[in-house]
Order: sequence, then C-alpha cells, then structure tokens
Amino acid sequence: MILNKEYYMEVFGVSLPQLEELTARALKNGGNYADLYFEDTCYSDILLRDSVVGAGGQHLDYGCGIRVLCGEKTGYAYSESTDIPSLSRAAAAAGIIADGTAPGEVAVSAANRYFGKPNPKADRYPFTGDWRTAPLSEAVPFLESIESAIRAKESRCSKVIASLSSSVSDILMYNSYGELKYETRPLASLSVTTIFIQGDKTVQTSVGRSLRMGTEFLTPQLAADIAAEAVKGLDALFDARRPKGGKMSVVMGAGASGILLHEAMGHAFEADFNRKGQSVFADKMGKQICPKGINIIDDGTIPANRGACNFDDEGVPGQKTYMVEDGVLTSFLHDRVSANWYGVAPTGNGRRESFRYNPIPRMRATYMESGRDGTVQDLIAAAGNGIFVDSFSNGEVKIGEGDFTFYVKSGFLIENGRLTMPVKDINIVGNGPKALADIKGVAGDLKIDDGTWTCGKEQSVAVSCGIPSVLIGKLTVGGEQYD
Amino acid sequence: MALKAGAQKARVNLVLDRMNLVSTLDAQIDKCSSCFDRSIRISVFADEKFGAFSTNKLEKKSLEAFIAKAVDTVKMLAPDPCRDLPAQDRVQKDAVTGRELDLLDETYYTIDGKQRKETALAACLGKAPGKIKLVSEEGEYSDNIYDTLIVDSQGTFCRQTETSFEYFCEVTVEDENGEKYSAYDWAESPRFANLPWKEVSRNAYEKACAMTGARNCRGRRCNMVVDREVASKFVSPILMALRGDNIQQHNSFLEGKEGIKVFPDGMTIVDCGARKGESNCILFDDEGVAAKEHVIIDRGTVKEYFLNTFSANKMGKEPTCDGPVRPRLMGWPRAALTRDDILEMCKEGILVTEFNGGNTNTATGDFSFGIEGFVFKKGKIAYPVKEMLVTGNIVELWSNLIACGDDSRSCMSKLIPTLAFSNVDFNG
Repeated sequence: MILNKEYYMEVFGVSLPQLEELTARALKNGGNYADLYFEDTCYSDILLRDSVVGAGGQHLDYGCGIRVLCGEKTGYAYSESTDIPSLSRAAAAAGIIADGTAPGEVAVSAANRYFGKPNPKADRYPFTGDWRTAPLSEAVPFLESIESAIRAKESRCSKVIASLSSSVSDILMYNSYGELKYETRPLASLSVTTIFIQGDKTVQTSVGRSLRMGTEFLTPQLAADIAAEAVKGLDALFDARRPKGGKMSVVMGAGASGILLHEAMGHAFEADFNRKGQSVFADKMGKQICPKGINIIDDGTIPANRGACNFDDEGVPGQKTYMVEDGVLTSFLHDRVSANWYGVAPTGNGRRESFRYNPIPRMRATYMESGRDGTVQDLIAAAGNGIFVDSFSNGEVKIGEGDFTFYVKSGFLIENGRLTMPVKDINIVGNGPKALADIKGVAGDLKIDDGTWTCGKEQSVAVSCGIPSVLIGKLTVGGEQYD
Repeated sequence: MALKAGAQKARVNLVLDRMNLVSTLDAQIDKCSSCFDRSIRISVFADEKFGAFSTNKLEKKSLEAFIAKAVDTVKMLAPDPCRDLPAQDRVQKDAVTGRELDLLDETYYTIDGKQRKETALAACLGKAPGKIKLVSEEGEYSDNIYDTLIVDSQGTFCRQTETSFEYFCEVTVEDENGEKYSAYDWAESPRFANLPWKEVSRNAYEKACAMTGARNCRGRRCNMVVDREVASKFVSPILMALRGDNIQQHNSFLEGKEGIKVFPDGMTIVDCGARKGESNCILFDDEGVAAKEHVIIDRGTVKEYFLNTFSANKMGKEPTCDGPVRPRLMGWPRAALTRDDILEMCKEGILVTEFNGGNTNTATGDFSFGIEGFVFKKGKIAYPVKEMLVTGNIVELWSNLIACGDDSRSCMSKLIPTLAFSNVDFNG
C-alpha cells in the first residue's frame, strides 16, 4: 500500500527539512552518501495448539537506521526514538566511519538516481484488511477450520499446531541524493505442523503459505488447500525409508525445489561476495555457466509475492533481474555499494531485516524459467535410476567453494525410469557451478513456491523461490551404506 | 498497568542491549556500527487466558494504550488454565543487583571508538602468513552490554547485567588451481582483557589452508571423530527432544523415556549454567526461575525433561526448567582426552571439522548432515574431504560411542568435547 507522503511524515514525526538536516549531519565528518530508513512495524501472532487457540500477541518495533557510506565502507547506527536529538546522535555515530578522511562525491550517473514519486497504481501489494486494526479473534475460526479439515481427512492425526503471523510496516526512506520513498508493507504467514501416528510410527508434516497481503489472506480456500497439503502423501511417508546413499541422478520437482537455485547459485550471485572476491562465480561474468536455454531470474515484481518489493530498502525500484540468460552469467545482485564498485546500476536487491541492520545484497523471488524438455514424467524416465525430491526444509551454502546442501523431507526413488520406494529425511550435497553445468533437462512446468521461506544471510529476510522440474546428472544423496 | 487494565497476573521482561561493532575487510576498516536496543516484553494472564506482547515504544502514554489493548486481545482468546506464572519457591531471589554472577566488566565503559578500531585492525593478518594465497580476510570485533530485568505481579524481581567481547574472522584462500576455500575462527569472553583475539585470524587462515585440495571421496561406513568446535551437532537434537513442548506434542524420539537408559554409559550431561564468572551463564530463565546445576542424562539414563510451568501443567508433572543453560558432556572413558588422543584411539576414519546444512527429525531422531573434514589413518590426519554427507539415527549413533574428550571450549554455550563413534555411514 502506498499512502501520501504526509501520512508517513506524521507517523515518524519528521519533516523534509529535518530529513535534509539529518543527512547533512551524518555527512558532517565526511563520506559520500547517507540514508535514513524509518520503520514502524506491528507484528501479530496467534497459535492453535491442542485444539485451542490459546496464545497470541502483538509486537511493535519502531525506529530509524542511519547509514553513511565512505567509498565501500559503511557506518551504521540506529535509534528507537525518532526525536531529532536522538536521530542526530545516531547520525553522528554512523558518520564516525568517515573519520574526516572521506573521498569526494562518488559519481553516480543520473540513470542510477531514483527521484520518482511512489506510485499507488503500480503497488505490488495493495491490501484491504489491515492486520494492525483487525481483532486477533477474527483468525480464531480460520485456524480451527484447518484443524477440523485435517482431522476430517485423516484419523491418524494426533496433534495440529497452526500459527498465523502477520506484520504491517510503514516505511519512509530518504537519502543525501534527495530521493524520498515511502510505502506500507504487509506480510502474512501461515504455518501448520501436524503429527500423525500409526502403530509405533510417527510422521510429521509441515506446510505453509506466505504472501504480502492483508486480512484478505484468510480465505476458506486457503484453509482447505493447507489441510489438503498437510495430509498429502501420508501413506508414502509412513512407508518411507532411507535409500542407499551415494552419487545419483536427481529430479527436482517443480516449486519448492527452487531452494536449489537459492542455495547453489543465488547466494554466489550476490555481489558483495563477488566484490570481495570470495564467490566461486567472481570471475565468471559473461561466461557460459550452464547449458544453453537456461534462464535464472531474481524477481521483485511478482504481485503479493513474499519477495516482492515496490522499492528495496535503499529506495531503488523493485525489478526483475536476469542473472543467467541462455546459460550465460549476465548480472550479479547489487545493492548501491556493490553497484558503485562495479560501475553498474543497482538491481533493487539492497534489503534488510529491519531498521536495526544496514542493507546488503539479498535475493527476492529466485526462479528458473520453464524449459522445453517435456514434463516431469519425461525427466523421471530420462533419469533411469536416481531420486525424485519435492519437499524440503532448509539449505545452506559455502560461498567460496560453492558447496551447497539442502534437506529433503520426502521424495521417491527412481528405478528404471519410474517412481518406486518413498524416501525421507535425507540431505543432498553438491557444488553450485558443477550442478548448474550438469543440468540435463528442464521441464515446462515452472511453479513459484509460496511457502514461508526466510533467508538467514546475516539477517532474516523474506524470500521465495521456484523452479520447473529439473534433472541433474549427479548429486550426492545421503543414505545408508548397506553392507 | 496490565493489572489495572483487567489482567489477574502479568510478567514484564525489560531488556537493554548496547553493541558496538567494527568490521574489517583485508585489514582495512569496512564497517562501524553502533546499536542500542531497549524493549519491554509483557506476558498477560487474564481470565485463564494468555498472550505475549512486546514493544520498544516506551513513552508512558503509548505504553498504557498498548497494554490496555493487549489485555483486551488476550480476553478474545480461548482459556488455557495451564498458562501461569511459576511457583514462588522456584523463582530466583538472589539476582538483585545484576552483578551476582560477576559477568560485568567495568572496562566496557572506558572503551571508545578509537580503541575499537585499533583492536579490530590489530587482530588482522593483513597478508598471508603462509604460502597459500589469501583472497579475503573479514574480521569483526564487537563488544556488548546486556541488562535484563524480570518483574512479575507476584513479586518476582531478577536482574542480570553482563558484558561480552568477541572477535570473529573468516578467511578465504585460493590454491594454485584457482580453487577457493574458506574457514573461520572466533573467540569470546565476558572480560575484554581475557579476549584471546590475537590467534583468531591465523587460526582461520590455517584452517582454510588445511582444506586446500579437499575432494569428495567414496562413501563408506567407518569411525567418525567430531571436532569440539562442531560436536554439539550431535547433542543438540537430544536436548531438543527433551523439551516439554516436543514431548507433549508427541514430536520427540525420547517420549516415554524419562528414567530409562537410552544412551551408553559414556553419556553424562550436566547443566552447569549458573557458575560465577563463566560465559553464557545466567541465574534465571525467562520465567525468573532459578538456574541450578542438575544432571540431564546420567550414564545414559534420561533423568529429566525440560518442563517449564506451561509444559509441566499440560503434562500434569512437576516443572523442572525451561531448557538447559550450559550443558556439559563429561569425558569418557577417561578424563583429559584430547582430539589427538581420540584420533590415535580410533586409528582410521573421518574427522568432521565442519557441517554444511542438514537436519534431524525430532520425532524419529533420523539425521542427515553435509560435512567436511579429513580422512585419518593410523591416528594421523591424511587428506581433506568435502561435499560428503553423514546419515543415521541419533540413538543408534550414540550406541556406537567410542569416546568423549575433555577439551570443550569454555566460550561456547554448550560444553561439548571432541566425540568419536564407530560404524557411521558417510556418503560421497
């Protein structure tokens, strides 16, 4: 939602001349750029447990972060009060980085300045129901309906824990270039964990949905979809076992398998790692890094997506960035610092957890475009023997080496081109550049996953991911070593 | 305010947290930041209903409105009589000044920005101390003062003030083939004078250099030695499974195991979280309940679950604690074992020095983790390995325990020494 400038000035109790004065104060000691990031966030949460919606709460977080850049060096401070004396002290603390020895004004081309006024008509997350004013009790029947639907579908259901969290943030940004941006960001997240018991076996499923929406997020259809997902494939989960581990072909199912892109490639494309020479892709710009025909994108323009942004947290417009086009590495993900260093335009990836953190290059919605290698069944048949995976919990990457892992909650063995034994609780490990180069097929079924993905690079930031079904020649799959 | 607004009971946790940080990149100052947080958390108990709220808008008028709304919100929820304040005889009564644990270093107040920058720069390598090329060196010096106060409507008053000083360094090196390897090291102390920052960067460089040439190798079933820096990976799932909320939700592989011998004789874990002057210790938990030394697992027998007031009421049992503060795994089969002793004891296998992702299923204890480390032969490190996985079940893993060292790092929150297990599945 984008309201008028006056609303945001009033929320934070500041005026334009005061903002100008504060950026000047921040640069008093030197430095070539300063920005202010005001935030007023209201978080709410409510929990269903043991069939009772018996806990909930609300959390307010308010303040302003002030950053001074001196070349690539950063000075940062914040204040939880937005009265002018407090902000002046924070500005002075951030300005300490300059140390009186700052270089002069860095040349930023006119194309890389963003004076445009926020446009409500181009808003990527307009919302009608404001979580800040909606009584928490409105969500009670919604959570109860999810539990009822799960229990109606599955007699093996033992426990349901359903949580709904939401936030609404008023944001105001101003910088020493004179750019002023403001907006209101909603975020709603639903997570449901269900414990099923059959004999002496226990199986847990976790499903979730997260979108930048107001209270209109809560629909009967969402409750029904989540309940259906919670019980999906349950018989297979009870039968699932560990496969024999080792190197094998892996078919990544469409949607949540996008974690592969996030971990194996996305982080290594973040320009701060490349600026420091640490990334395995640091010297690969303009080079073929995966088979022709593959396009990998980081996108802040998908309406209501968890990674969507009208502006990033430096006031740069949200945009769609092709990182890989036709198999060639074409762009890193930039904030203003790395963009200046590389002499390119920022890509709108300067993001932060809150006013407590300075922005750094972060992903938004990272996905691969659909390919032309048929359907997921075609890829499974082409794999011959291997593993099919489509449900994940977490992943990690080592930037320098490019080694990544992701944890598979469930999937199936592939034997003779067909899905056979269900598998669960296995880790898959690989190397980013090698895995990219080893893509053998991409189906035409791109799906963006709207789960509650959170990236934890130094700070927690909401992201999303997606991918069409993909066949990778060889990855290492965790499992037993049968004697 | 909460009682005035209609709550019957309330607890307030007040936190003041100030941190200063100086980062370096390649021995140059890269970032300076100054953080000061003050927040209030309020637990509201009204008509047998419960809610948790927090705000950093501390002006009286704003706070009054926030708390009044909080109480109204709580009244909209369903009753849950299991939510309550802890019994008074469990609450800490000897944490009044905040200084009882002797974790406050007054030196903190004398450190200025100049000294922080000097310390951060002095800790840098600047250039490679060995033959292998240094690609980047990122250092971070930080100091922090943390003050927490808990009061509740039944008279609880607990306070703790502590300082913490830390230096962290991550190094990336490049071998002659252009392959990059990174590693980190860190040190922490509640006292500035005791912060051993001088060796941190060199340790990180040496760790990264030791990994050069690392490769993925053939899967095998063999001995596994886990370095003390990362050994908590195989203890944390056990502590998680002992948590009351997991037990009560049937989401624990240790459900129904209280008082039962599940693990081998070699596993004894004691929570020693209230020791004066030691890092990560605290006199009370988030409910204000007094922390005390207690045995969690005694020679393989599960002695207790972690039951806070809510979990204990849910399960109809006596409360114990919210969770372990500073669990310590005791040495076995003899005291004073070092990593070298354990490698010698095991002769052949894989030494794990780093984990890369993975997870444990709390309901079953099944785990799978990415690892890197070294193959060792005849009790000595032979060559580095990476891109491998270790897979198994926590209870089965511990049934194959060979040894627990006596070398845990005192600055870590869990005092877990070097560990060794037999018959472990590695995939490569």
